[in-house]
Amino acid sequence: MSAALMALAKWLQDTHWAQWISGSDWVYPFVQLTHFSGLSLWIGTNLALDFRLLGLGKKRQTAAELSRSLFAWNWTGFFIAICGGFMLFSASATKYVVNPAFLIKLGILIPCALVVHIINQQKSRVWGATADTLSIGKYMGLLEIILWLGVVTAAVSIPTFEIFGS
Amino acid sequence: MLHFVQALQHNSWFIAMNSSIAITSFFEVCHYAGFFLLVGSIALVDLRVLGIAGRRQTATAMAEQLFPWMWTGLIFATISGFLMFTGDAIDFYGAPLFRVKMLLLVAALVVGIVVQWQVPRWDQRGPMSLGAKSVALLSLLLWVATILAALEVPAINGVG
Repeated sequence: MSAALMALAKWLQDTHWAQWISGSDWVYPFVQLTHFSGLSLWIGTNLALDFRLLGLGKKRQTAAELSRSLFAWNWTGFFIAICGGFMLFSASATKYVVNPAFLIKLGILIPCALVVHIINQQKSRVWGATADTLSIGKYMGLLEIILWLGVVTAAVSIPTFEIFGS
Repeated sequence: MLHFVQALQHNSWFIAMNSSIAITSFFEVCHYAGFFLLVGSIALVDLRVLGIAGRRQTATAMAEQLFPWMWTGLIFATISGFLMFTGDAIDFYGAPLFRVKMLLLVAALVVGIVVQWQVPRWDQRGPMSLGAKSVALLSLLLWVATILAALEVPAINGVG
């Protein structure tokens, strides 16, 4: 399994466009920009909804209304972040597939955070129909915040665990 | 200014903080989470002014809900950013792209404040004017440029 994964990573890293990304001082930051701009939309809107579920901040809108108004750009941000993230991954794929922080981020934390996010987004129509959110909504909002902070923590830990060479 | 920057980098408290991987990672998490909240909040309001987000509600309603999070994100990003700066203060100070980033950041914040201040007036006048949309578009572009400049600091100037 790990040999197949490494072979796939090596193939991806050797593609022309992956080499183009990793080989230029200017292109790589533009790809990072794609990832970070998408994340700003994605994480920013996720946190805004979770804080509203928790009852923090202004209560001008219910959590249900906020969830509806953020929905389209929330997922637009997600897809921009995924595209940027995939390009960053492909530029150094063989390093990433052996990095424990990256594996925890992509294999455990992101799937968990995504599931909790989808539940929160769907259920906020019920939990957040009125100004005061149901208790379950508050716990789930807090759980999602913790999970996304975990994802960011794993992401910033990737250089610490970096194992050079393939 | 250089003396101040040198004093920051040689301060024993900042040296101690920046020599711990756990603490510097914590600063980075605060910086990223803070700026995601900051940029995400203001971008949504800009997109609403441009007429391409949350059209079921007024721009004022969206701005009132999201702008407190813009300021919260800014506080987190600024404090953690300053503490990260102290670790390599002299190099950051001398890096041209870091200065560009700071100028773009100030410009983006000024335009962001103008948006926050003007949104209720723009809303009262009916459909968003071309002027309002231009300010919102400028705000978005300035944030994208700020992020790009920040990413170019390590790539081109080798700092951070």
